[in-house]
Amino acid sequence: MRVHVYEQLMATQASRRRVMKGTASAVAGLVAGVPATLSPSPSFAADSVVAQIMKIPGAGNGSPTDADWQKVGELCLGPTKKYVQPGEFKGINFSFMGLNNQNLHNFLFRGFLKPWEAYTGTLIKWIDLAQADYNARLQQSIATGTADFDIIEMGAPFEGDMGVKNLLSEMPDWVKKQVDFDDIVDYLKPPVGTWNGKIHRVTIDSDCHTMNRRTDVFTDPGLAKQWADWKDKAGLGTWGPPKTWQQVQQITKFLKGKKVKGKEVYGFLDQPKPWGGFQFYFTASRASSYAKYPGEKNWMFDENMKPLVNNPAWVRAIQDVIDALPYEPADQINADPGTTAFQQFLPGTGSLLEWWGDIGTMAKTSDTATIGDVLDFDILPASDDVYNFRKEKWETLPNGPNVAPNMAYLGWGIYVMKTVDSDPKRHKAAWSAAAHLGGKDLSMWTAAYPSGFQPYRKSHTNLDLWALAGYDKKYIGSYMDSQSTSYNHPNSAIEPRIPGIFQYYSIAEDELQKTFAGKQSAQQGADNVAAAWEKLTNKLGRENQIKYYRIAMGLA
Amino acid sequence: MIAVAALQILDGLGLVPIAFVNWRPTLYAFLLWSVALGVGQVLQYGEVGKQRLFVLPALLFTAAMVIFPTLFGLNIAFTDWNLNAQSGHHFNGLDNLRTLWGDAYFWNALGNMAFYVATVLVQYAIAFGLAMLLNADIRGRKFFRVAFLLPFMLSPVAVSWMIGKSLMENRFGPLANFARWLGWENPAFFTDPWIARTTIIAMDAWVWIPFMVILLLAGLQALPTDIKEAAKVDGASSWQAFWEITFPLMLPVSLTAIVLRTIFELKLADIVINVTAGGPGGATDTVSSFVFREYRDRSNVGYATMVAEVYLIIIVVFITLLLRATSRYMQKMT
Amino acid sequence: MTTAIGSEATAEEDEVEAGSLAAWIARFGGKTLVYALLILWTVIALFPIYWTLSTSMKLGRDVTQGHLIPWVDFSPAWKGWQSLGLSPDTIFATSNVREEFLKKFVNSVICSFGAAAVAVVLGSLAAYGLSRFEYKFGPWRNRDILFFFISQLILPPVVLALPFLVLYKALALLDTRVGLILVYTLMVLPIVIWVMRDQFDTIPQEMEQAALVDGCSIWGAFVRIVLPMAAPGMVAAFILSLVLCWNEYFFASLLTGFDAQTLPVMVASQTGSQGINWWTIAALATAAITPLLLIGIFLERYIVMGLTAGAGK
Repeated sequence: MRVHVYEQLMATQASRRRVMKGTASAVAGLVAGVPATLSPSPSFAADSVVAQIMKIPGAGNGSPTDADWQKVGELCLGPTKKYVQPGEFKGINFSFMGLNNQNLHNFLFRGFLKPWEAYTGTLIKWIDLAQADYNARLQQSIATGTADFDIIEMGAPFEGDMGVKNLLSEMPDWVKKQVDFDDIVDYLKPPVGTWNGKIHRVTIDSDCHTMNRRTDVFTDPGLAKQWADWKDKAGLGTWGPPKTWQQVQQITKFLKGKKVKGKEVYGFLDQPKPWGGFQFYFTASRASSYAKYPGEKNWMFDENMKPLVNNPAWVRAIQDVIDALPYEPADQINADPGTTAFQQFLPGTGSLLEWWGDIGTMAKTSDTATIGDVLDFDILPASDDVYNFRKEKWETLPNGPNVAPNMAYLGWGIYVMKTVDSDPKRHKAAWSAAAHLGGKDLSMWTAAYPSGFQPYRKSHTNLDLWALAGYDKKYIGSYMDSQSTSYNHPNSAIEPRIPGIFQYYSIAEDELQKTFAGKQSAQQGADNVAAAWEKLTNKLGRENQIKYYRIAMGLA
Repeated sequence: MIAVAALQILDGLGLVPIAFVNWRPTLYAFLLWSVALGVGQVLQYGEVGKQRLFVLPALLFTAAMVIFPTLFGLNIAFTDWNLNAQSGHHFNGLDNLRTLWGDAYFWNALGNMAFYVATVLVQYAIAFGLAMLLNADIRGRKFFRVAFLLPFMLSPVAVSWMIGKSLMENRFGPLANFARWLGWENPAFFTDPWIARTTIIAMDAWVWIPFMVILLLAGLQALPTDIKEAAKVDGASSWQAFWEITFPLMLPVSLTAIVLRTIFELKLADIVINVTAGGPGGATDTVSSFVFREYRDRSNVGYATMVAEVYLIIIVVFITLLLRATSRYMQKMT
Repeated sequence: MTTAIGSEATAEEDEVEAGSLAAWIARFGGKTLVYALLILWTVIALFPIYWTLSTSMKLGRDVTQGHLIPWVDFSPAWKGWQSLGLSPDTIFATSNVREEFLKKFVNSVICSFGAAAVAVVLGSLAAYGLSRFEYKFGPWRNRDILFFFISQLILPPVVLALPFLVLYKALALLDTRVGLILVYTLMVLPIVIWVMRDQFDTIPQEMEQAALVDGCSIWGAFVRIVLPMAAPGMVAAFILSLVLCWNEYFFASLLTGFDAQTLPVMVASQTGSQGINWWTIAALATAAITPLLLIGIFLERYIVMGLTAGAGK
């Protein structure tokens, strides 16, 4: 669809948008304190592309539609036009494999790339996968040689699987320039996105777990009074949001049976039920500040792939879940991460949730959410002490509690398959498509609107741009603060991108589920996970796995 | 004779196409060969050949479709193949069987299956009752028949989400609210192992009971009317008539319904994977969903295939015994 | 038709028989019980379906608060249908999602109808053969053949993933409708054979024998005499096969990518790490059930016509 057609379509809604804009700027004027860690908002040119796209469709105009995606794609073609002549790739067609997650992801890409296809003359064939099939389909098509896609949307944890089989094309320098590679947050720079020194990934997303909190619960005067009488405060003198896991545990116990405005409240929400490997991230996030010692990259394995998952730090995290479960909602044992986020937290159950950044944008854009106005964000809780696995003892650090945000999954990226390398024209076409999706302006839009993707650039901290999309600056300031503090944290916990990493997670989930259900002790469960991991490492080839582990973790 | 010659040539053709772009020509060659085989049968054996023609197409089709997967499956069942292993796959003899012997997950799942399969009898009883109701002289028969059939049409994914994850949701699910109204204070359907197992099987039964109802209803309709009349004239009470006349006559159909249902029960996976992921603590796990995790989530294809083959053997033995027992019972009854 | 007449006749006789008051009460009580049970099960069967249908008209918060009755609990919206591009306000706008939906819908129709039809043809033939003749293929007897078919149903399909990927790649059948139809036929063939063999067993052999005496061939007798009588059974088998193919997810997601993808794959895509679109999944499930429902209503009379036509007289 062309821009002018779109303009006509949207003309009817223009007046509504103007009203919204007025409100947004009024709110912006009222809000004073922007968190200190953020760079002072650089101004933007009112007629810049990014300023234009941030108003599509604008707050209060419902979820963006196909027409919106195409318009955004059209407006963001600038960088492509710099490197590619009109119709340069005429006659080229290739296939693009990605997720169909609630008709986002691949459907978004379709919209974004439609104007690109029209400009370059390329034809793209789309392969959509449900997320549940993604891992299996990827592994099986690699194994049977039925991998017939040229571009793939893939999470960083799979880089090992693809890397060791040498299936990925290396990013050309012009793409690096086109996507403004330096603007990407530091933790997503090499070694993440690379394998053996070669850059493969056009980043379109970032992932980390943060703590989502209910402000109404943590400012409730009634609860504050009762908290004063609570015995073990774990260092939280006056009622407020927790800073450490020790406090999270106490708050969860404290809140059981309490009411706020006549409604039952709960504290922290755990996710004990397996979720195709993804549940393990949540246990890992509970463990990271216990297990990730500052200055040490290893926290799931040591540098020789010996599992650390059964050391006292991890066992304490597992025990925390067991201890907290009785104080969480009924049937919590059957809650997976999806349940806690979309069936519990967003509709209003529970007051603390570790999750990916989706919560922050969905609380404002999804109509499932009832808590958009009482939500703020923080980095994952710290721990009073941290386990030093080299000295095998708990330590209290001189500079206070240990913080180690878990960068769970490391975000989605666009990867080009090596099969295009033999034909320079195809090679350029595929990389151009990938670069278009990883464009700087476009990314600002996907960060702010429902897309399935999180902010991943330093420039995303420009709160004025968020305000254009109708966000309240105080809200989004808290959100971006939690995100960027995690991204830039010197002690952030990065997972090993070794081949088969999801097998490790999947086995761990099975054992943890048994543990959480009370079938075995935390130590026993952790030992079983460690034993299963050792067995798996042997099966996959210990020497290789150790070598890949070091490559993946950047241990050289 | 002619047929045999044609067979030879075409069989030869089947080996040639390695040079082609793909094996598609082999497919066509097989089709031609099948036709030739059919014609040959009739020419060679006459009447017997014509009789064979009834069963040959289905046999040839099934054989052609399963021969490669079966051989391939047997081949990888005895390897250590994990898709993520850099060294590919190696024959490892009976190692997989040994692992299986000590695999607590498999035995736990198999134990659960025993419970699930045992409930087939309950499901059958309900289905029989419903079929009798539908067979009775009632008004609005058409409506009831279609209504009873509907649950079977809902896809398993939809069943998992719309029923398991929303109807039975602890806080807002209408079914949970109903249970609360009935006096169950905190209706958690998936926390207690036995309640969780029962809930899972109830959902699965809800889908599959219509399947049995259709089979049984067709059977009831096929009963000769004069037999029903005879029962009445004898003055037998309807209960007695049912046990002495209807039930024995329905045995063959019942057997088919039970066998088919049992097989589908043994493959139960979708609902478990979506709703409980085998939890709490493995209480609802099934062998199929365990195989699913090993094969797909963990790419552990060698071991998973072995588990499936062993499971296949267990089922085949079980069903053979079931068929034997029932055929003996049927002989006694008639 | 025959059924209806038959049962009406019995009903009249019953009424005559039920002379005494006691019998009348017992009868009336029985009738009430029958209807009570029928209605009870109807509620059990239909309530979740009502829940699904109504969810397609709900906003997220109406789902997560368990709202039940439209206009009373919640105000119905076209939410789910909007997301598919099928609501009144979006039906004429371009929509990628609707295009995908329609494409997958057509694929579902072709694959499941195709497979069910092929299976009923192949399966009925085989079932008739197994019901009437004694076969001997080497050591194999009828019972073994029957068991061979049913045993194809037992293996958990997930372990067939790699073999079928390899096989279909070699045969260039990946992502084709023909490929899916073949797999689905294989999947439902055993069911058709077992169901149809029961049906043929109940048809008395005398009628064919009479035809054979009149000079018909076995095949002639089968087509002209047996098939019409077995038609209801075939319809039942066809519907069961159709539903199973229609909802098949595993092979659909494994063996297709683009051209031949079917509806269940799209339904499954509505959940993932971005939560779940209740309304879309509900709308998709409702849309997917509709054609089956129509088929069910249309063919219902054939299923239950039963074999009384031949057997009773």
